[in-house]
Amino acid sequence: MPRFLRSLTLGLLLGALVGLYFGWVQFPAESRNSRLRDLSPRYRDEYSVMAAASYATDGDVSSAIESLSRLAVDDVPSYVRETTERIILNSSRSLEDIGLLVQLAAGLGQLTESMQPFLDMNRDRA
Amino acid sequence: MRPQDLRPQPVKATATPEPSYVSYWVFAMSLILGLALSISFTRVYGPWQRGNAEPWQLRPEERDHYMMAIALEFAYSSDTAKALDKLIALRPDGDPLALLAEAACALGSRGYLGSDGGIKAVRSAVKLYSAQGRDGCAEQLLPPQPTQASAELGTVQRPVELQSTPLPTKVPLQDVLLATPTPRHHPAPPPRRNFELLSVRSFCDLGRPALIEVYVVDYLGRGIPGQRIRVRWGDREEVFLSGLKAERGDAYADFQMEEGVDYAIDMAGANDALGTSLSTGDCYSENRRGLKSYRVTFVER
Repeated sequence: MPRFLRSLTLGLLLGALVGLYFGWVQFPAESRNSRLRDLSPRYRDEYSVMAAASYATDGDVSSAIESLSRLAVDDVPSYVRETTERIILNSSRSLEDIGLLVQLAAGLGQLTESMQPFLDMNRDRA
Repeated sequence: MRPQDLRPQPVKATATPEPSYVSYWVFAMSLILGLALSISFTRVYGPWQRGNAEPWQLRPEERDHYMMAIALEFAYSSDTAKALDKLIALRPDGDPLALLAEAACALGSRGYLGSDGGIKAVRSAVKLYSAQGRDGCAEQLLPPQPTQASAELGTVQRPVELQSTPLPTKVPLQDVLLATPTPRHHPAPPPRRNFELLSVRSFCDLGRPALIEVYVVDYLGRGIPGQRIRVRWGDREEVFLSGLKAERGDAYADFQMEEGVDYAIDMAGANDALGTSLSTGDCYSENRRGLKSYRVTFVER
């Protein structure tokens, strides 16, 4: 009996490990069941810029907050501030995108020193 | 024969094989079982890294919201190529703009138009796919926009209101005293339709159980499509529109009830909400048990 249990346990354990490796690492599932909150940082930024563009169209803060809350962030204004500062620091998006995010951050009362030049640039363009 | 020869010969030990540490059969079978279970789990549960999805991996309802965000960005930039690129990145099976039209229609039918943001998003989506020659049902779901005439009136009036006319160097006192304020014409808001609740009747139809059927008609009894009807229950509410089921006529809209829940119905432009709450329960038709439905009629005043 112990031999049976030992064989069963070892087999199941090894099978599960190998299966998880192949299923998650080697050949991960191309799932179409993700939520907006599961988006990779790159696409979260992309989505945030789209929400910011919507805000730039009509200045509707509540609509922008509603859109961004789908990313399952606890505090949307802080999220916008952190995202904008990170993007400014990394220069990971175009100037236009940064300008939109800064505009949204300003609309949410989250303007910081590092954003100010971009806000001024927006005003100069306008 | 010597005495020692009489001693029995030592028995040769028969070599019985030591049992192996594991049973190979059991091990092989459980290995296969473990593999099957874990691979199935990874397929069902999805990727390990949850925060690493791409837009094409979004589930349908989340993808719809993503597409509305694309449409809203398009409303800002008017960049069709950029919007198309993002729609194509969703890896649609067919035409990306048709997918956008479907998404706008689906969201519009799910009460997404209950907020200004939702209306704005669907309107942007309609603008995007209509400009490319596609159509969908969302156009019919959207509430009417202010008319072109009133919009133009607004743009014409604004400069008049803001423009300051140069004052004459000397104004006759009599003219100043007699001057009456010039009446200003402000653009009229879109006409608001007023409704009143005409009737609420329950009925038992085995083929249409637990349904609230709403009819919105004008004073001549003609159906009025596109009217927003609100149903509330608990701390939730949903808005649906008349005229979406073409086969049932312009006046018709319906809502599926659940047992044990009280619903309240009202609509924009109706002074009073339905005084009593509606709830379904058992009813009998042709000696068979069904669930009670309601027929509510709003008429334009």
